[in-house]
Amino acid sequence: MKIHLPDGTARTFEGGVARVSDLLLSIRVNPVGVIVSRNGRVVPEDTILGQDDEIRIIQVSHGG
Amino acid sequence: MEAGPGAPGEPPACDLCGQAAVFLDRFSQRHLCGDHVLLDVEDRVRCTIQEYHLIRPGERLAVALSGGKDSTALLHLLSKIVPEMGDVTLTAITVDEGIAGYREATIRVAREMATRFGVEHHLVSFRGISGATLDDMVADGRSHPCSLCGIHRRRALLCAAAGLGATAIATGHNLDDEAQTIVMNCLRGDLPGFTRPPAKDPTGAGIRRIKPLFRVPEKEVALYGMLTGIFHDLPECPYAGTALRSEVRRMIDRLEYLHPGTLERIVRGQEDVASLWGRLGASETSLPLTGGRKDRDS
Repeated sequence: MKIHLPDGTARTFEGGVARVSDLLLSIRVNPVGVIVSRNGRVVPEDTILGQDDEIRIIQVSHGG
Repeated sequence: MEAGPGAPGEPPACDLCGQAAVFLDRFSQRHLCGDHVLLDVEDRVRCTIQEYHLIRPGERLAVALSGGKDSTALLHLLSKIVPEMGDVTLTAITVDEGIAGYREATIRVAREMATRFGVEHHLVSFRGISGATLDDMVADGRSHPCSLCGIHRRRALLCAAAGLGATAIATGHNLDDEAQTIVMNCLRGDLPGFTRPPAKDPTGAGIRRIKPLFRVPEKEVALYGMLTGIFHDLPECPYAGTALRSEVRRMIDRLEYLHPGTLERIVRGQEDVASLWGRLGASETSLPLTGGRKDRDS
């Protein structure tokens, strides 16, 4: 599974089947502050991901 | 079994129509599709405007349009809702703080969005109003940029709104912003700030400041922007990371994850306190307040 992070970098996740929220917590991202798209479509955080999915994490909170 | 919303590998289904959901409300455990997220956000903003009497018939309403996601979503929402209210004129004001390498992109987006929604757009700058850019003001390293920026931005918005004959300024503050401000006021011991009514603030210049998004969580504002195609992935303000607000945000977000509804409860609770405070007839000068302590890092 390829993951695009909010900072513009990408990494590969080799874990098994996971929900979006599990994936986020495993990389220390709070689901409250992000929106996630899977293969270009926004999905809720309890969506179950597959190994071939391409995930993009979009940070929603900015500013001071 | 045919694949579809809720099937293995597919997103859960919308609880209202069965289409593929894009959002889970963790408090109610309700799934919503894109169309129902949009309707839900619009309804909440419409209800907030009505419940708090935020907009008055016949007035000129200035929208503080930074070009970021919140103010852009606000402009979009108001351009849909305001025509239902009769004879209210929308005007957008963008403040150029003078932050090199950051502000140019958001000003461009602000111009594009005002044009897209057919709203008159005005640009004012710190340099024009206060004589210096924010970069100039903090160059000595002694002043905290977020505190200075807040003061000068409010001043610039007020000057511009007054010049345009506006009677209210709408800002894109969302539920997260309000909850963070309440907690920051507690941390500073700022009782006047803590007891101020939500949704609308006096500006002291005969111009009201209203917050039509203050009941909508930041994530849903961003989702609204993405689903309507107005979300732009813009650079983060270079001064943002060191503010107390960033620490408070991380703390509240963690609590919201562990205890869904925390943001709403913080704001509702403060609203009750402000209401009680108002009914008691308390004023800022009637109690021996210490005034709290303003941190440099605000």
